[in-house]
Amino acid sequence: MRMRFSQMLISFAITLALLVGFEIVTSTLLPALGWKEYRLTFNVLIILFMAIKMDSPIVPWLILGLQLIHSIFSIEGWALGTLAGVIVMLSANYLKEILQLSTAFMTMLTVQLFQFIWYLTVTLVICLKISDFDKFGLILWSFIPGSLLLSLISPLIFWLLEMVWRVPSEGGPRGVEI
Amino acid sequence: MKLINESSKTKIVNNLIVAFLAVYGISQKRFDLSEPTLFHQLVTEVISPVQEGLASSKKSLSSFWDNYLLIVNTSKENNVLKKQISRLESDLTTMEEVRKENLRLKRLLSYSDEMSHQKIMAQVVGWDSANEFKVIRLNKGRKHGIQTMAPVITDHGLVGYVYRVTENFSDVLTILDQNNRVDVMVERTRTHGIVEGVFNFKCALKYIMRNEPVEVGDKLITAGVGGIYPKGIKVGMITDITKENFGMTLSIEVIPSVDFDKLEEVLVLVGSSVEAPVTEPVAVGETKK
Repeated sequence: MRMRFSQMLISFAITLALLVGFEIVTSTLLPALGWKEYRLTFNVLIILFMAIKMDSPIVPWLILGLQLIHSIFSIEGWALGTLAGVIVMLSANYLKEILQLSTAFMTMLTVQLFQFIWYLTVTLVICLKISDFDKFGLILWSFIPGSLLLSLISPLIFWLLEMVWRVPSEGGPRGVEI
Repeated sequence: MKLINESSKTKIVNNLIVAFLAVYGISQKRFDLSEPTLFHQLVTEVISPVQEGLASSKKSLSSFWDNYLLIVNTSKENNVLKKQISRLESDLTTMEEVRKENLRLKRLLSYSDEMSHQKIMAQVVGWDSANEFKVIRLNKGRKHGIQTMAPVITDHGLVGYVYRVTENFSDVLTILDQNNRVDVMVERTRTHGIVEGVFNFKCALKYIMRNEPVEVGDKLITAGVGGIYPKGIKVGMITDITKENFGMTLSIEVIPSVDFDKLEEVLVLVGSSVEAPVTEPVAVGETKK
C-alpha cells in the first residue's frame, strides 16, 4: 500500500506522540508504582514495527527521529539505537519472504527474534565503548525479562501502530510504501 | 536488466548515511558525562514537567491502584460502602505518606547539617527508560544551582553524581550504573578499591588484592579521591567475597547503603567538587614556586 508524504508526516507525528507517552509510562509511572528493575523499551518496539512493516527509503531517517526523542528519556542517546535499528531493518529486509505476522503468536515470536538482534548489537557496542567484555553476558541477560514482556504486548502495540500508519493487518510484512 | 533499481539505490544510500551518522554519534558518546544539546534542553523542559507531575501524584496513584482498581464485581450497596472505606483509607494513606515524607525530610535535613557543603534538596521524578542504564531524573536544574559532576546523596549514603543538567532538571548517574566508578575504602581496614554497578541493584568492589583482610559485613565509604565525591560518605556493605582459583584480586559483591527501590528525595552537594591538587613534578634540588 502506498502512502502520501503528507499523510506519512501526520502518522509520524502521532507515532512520536505515542512514543513520548510510552516513555513517560516506563520512566515515571511504572517506577512510581514500584517497578524499577526492568524497563519496557517501547522505542525498540516502535522501531521494529517500522523495520518490519514499512518499505521505504526514509525509514532510517524515521528511526533516527524516534531515537532523538528517546534520547530525552535515556542517557543511551540516539546513536546506539539508530545503529541497532538500521541493522534490524536490514535483517528484516533479508528475511521478508519468510516473515509472517498473520497471528499474534507469530508477531510475538518475530518481535522476540528481532529484539535479540537489537540487544546483541547494543550489548556489543556498549562493551566496546566501556572496553569490558566480561560484562557481555550480564548486560545481554538484563534485557531478557523486559524483552519477553515487550514481545507479549507487541500484538497490541502493532495493532495500534497499524491504525496510525493505516497498514492493512492482513497485508503481512512490508505493508506500507512511501 | 538492472540489478539494482533507483529505489533500492536510494535505500542503500540512506541506510549508509544514517548508519555512518550513528557510528559517528557512538564514537563521540560518553556514558560518564554529557553536555545537553539545545534540542535536548528544549524538549526536556517541555516533557519533564509531566514526569514531575506524575511523580508528585505518586500517592494518589498508589491509593488509586490499591483502593479502586482492585475493587471489582461487588454489589451496588457494597460499592457505596467500600468507596466510603476506600476514601477514608485513601485519606489515611495520604496522611501516613505525609507523615513518612516529613520524617524522611527531617532525617535528610539533620544529615545535611553534618556536611559542610551547600545542599539542594530535589525530588526523583523519573528513571532512565533504557534497561542498561541506571539513571534518575531530578526536578532541580541549573537554575537552582546544580552543576554537572555534583555528588548526590541521601541520609543513607551515596546515590551518584550529576551526569547532565538542563535549566530545571538534572540526570544523575547512580552508583548502580556500570559507567559510574566510585573510589572507596573499607572503613575498618582502610583498603582502597573501586565500586562499580553490575546488575540487579547490586555493585561490585574491584581491585582488592587476595591478601587483604576484608570480610563480609565490612562497610565501604568514599575515599575522597577522584575529584567528585567528598571523603567519608557511606557507599555500601560487602555481602559476598569469592576467591577465584586464578587472578590477583578478590571478587566482591556489595549492597548499596541507599535503598534505590524507595528513593524519593535526595540532596545534591554543590560547590563541593573535590579538586585534586595539581602537582607539577619538581626536579630534585629545585624548590617549588
